[in-house]
Amino acid sequence: MIDFKNIRKSFGEREVLKGITFSVPEGQILFILGTSGTGKSVLLKTIVGLLKPSSGEVFINDREISCLSEREMFPVRRMCGMVFQQPALFDSLSIFENVAFGLRKHQPELDHAQLSARVKECLALVNLSGIEDKLPQAISYGMQKRVSLARTVAVSPRILLFDEPTTGLDPVTTNSINHLILELSRKLKTTSLVVSHDMQCALDIADHILVLDKGEIVAQGPPQTLKQSTHPLVQDFLREALNAETAH
Amino acid sequence: MPKLLIDVIDDVGNCLLFVREVMFTALTSPCSFASICEQIWTVTLQSLPTTALAGFFVGAIMTVQFTLQITTFGALGYLGGLSTSGTVREVGPLLIAFLLSGKVGAFTSAELGTMQVTEQIDAIRCLGANPIQEIILPRYLGIIISSFFLLAVGLVMSIFGGMLLGLVFSGINPEEYVRHIPTIVNKFSVANGMFKCLVFAFLLASICTYKGYSARGGAKGVGRAVVSTAVLTMVGIVVFDWLTSLITDTAMNVVLGNS
Repeated sequence: MIDFKNIRKSFGEREVLKGITFSVPEGQILFILGTSGTGKSVLLKTIVGLLKPSSGEVFINDREISCLSEREMFPVRRMCGMVFQQPALFDSLSIFENVAFGLRKHQPELDHAQLSARVKECLALVNLSGIEDKLPQAISYGMQKRVSLARTVAVSPRILLFDEPTTGLDPVTTNSINHLILELSRKLKTTSLVVSHDMQCALDIADHILVLDKGEIVAQGPPQTLKQSTHPLVQDFLREALNAETAH
Repeated sequence: MPKLLIDVIDDVGNCLLFVREVMFTALTSPCSFASICEQIWTVTLQSLPTTALAGFFVGAIMTVQFTLQITTFGALGYLGGLSTSGTVREVGPLLIAFLLSGKVGAFTSAELGTMQVTEQIDAIRCLGANPIQEIILPRYLGIIISSFFLLAVGLVMSIFGGMLLGLVFSGINPEEYVRHIPTIVNKFSVANGMFKCLVFAFLLASICTYKGYSARGGAKGVGRAVVSTAVLTMVGIVVFDWLTSLITDTAMNVVLGNS
């Protein structure tokens, strides 16, 4: 269970989050939608302590984590896995070493054979095999995104965080990533938070949707409830989703 | 207080906090020996050819300059000693620091800055690892340790360059050139050179890793980090050269005065 209580975050004079309060029950997929610059990624980063809220509290399983120091955050981060907007692969390491990176930290007792088996298993989960020896720059952007996903799930996190995982991808890869999110979340029984602009995808796979505008929650609820929302921004998103569906 | 001054104080303070964190990590959770060796190898390889070449010509320049001066006093026999002493005490460490600043400092800052703006450092943190331990500490120690290797190479090459120019320019044979080196270059000169080398390397490692690690704002931010690394290390090296000269001269006077 993840709880946000009255989260505020300012950068200088600019207040990006203005008192956000919501909860994510264990095992659910929550989509956070909103236009660019509304604080979606900032909100996600407060869970793993990459950003500290200016005020308010973040709880993971009833433990307050927003007050923890950088060192105290290490064990908390081991529970979470984050897929960034960019693939963020370590470009000096091979795909194998990228996926094995977290495993070496989390499970130092694994020998090479076990490590290798786990890396291959995770790459197979994202439909990538036989690219272990390649460097990140030798594979396509879409493949890098999937490797990033494999690296994240390799350490068996209980919470998965996706920061615009399909940005910059073609519709086919976008679809496959969206299905991977659903598949992995169900298979690994994780709690997932997905920051996105893609209402159609949210309607398809989310258990709960939250819409942010100018740092505030303007609508939230299960997909069916959200479809009834009269808020102009939600209406815009729904119209866009409908257009995209018609185009396909 | 002007904003620029506040920014400078803020930056220096953050850099000191960063160095404290690096030191704390080095003591509590050191990085792997293999990663340090890899960095030593990278830094040394990156700078070895230029250091050797520059060292050779520094020795040559020192010889030419000293020849003009000491011929007047009929002390040409001391040419090798004086030239080498100048290189060991001052020019060698300064030269290595400038070369490392231009090559390794800029490279490290750009590399770390790119890792920062492409969220690779955040990814390390999210994987439950400490980026200071994983990527900063090996580079930090790599720069400091390699600078001693490079100093040794630079000094050997400068003696060689000086010897060659001494032979060609002043007609001093190599035996005569090296004969007075042990007379003039004593243990204090070597300690002085090594102390300067350590201080400059520490300064360079601190600035370039801090600037790269704290880079923000995409490609432009990385560019800014590299430029400020170059400027700050150059200025810092000159300022600390004066400071270390003051410290070592005072220490030498105290030691020699007491003995």
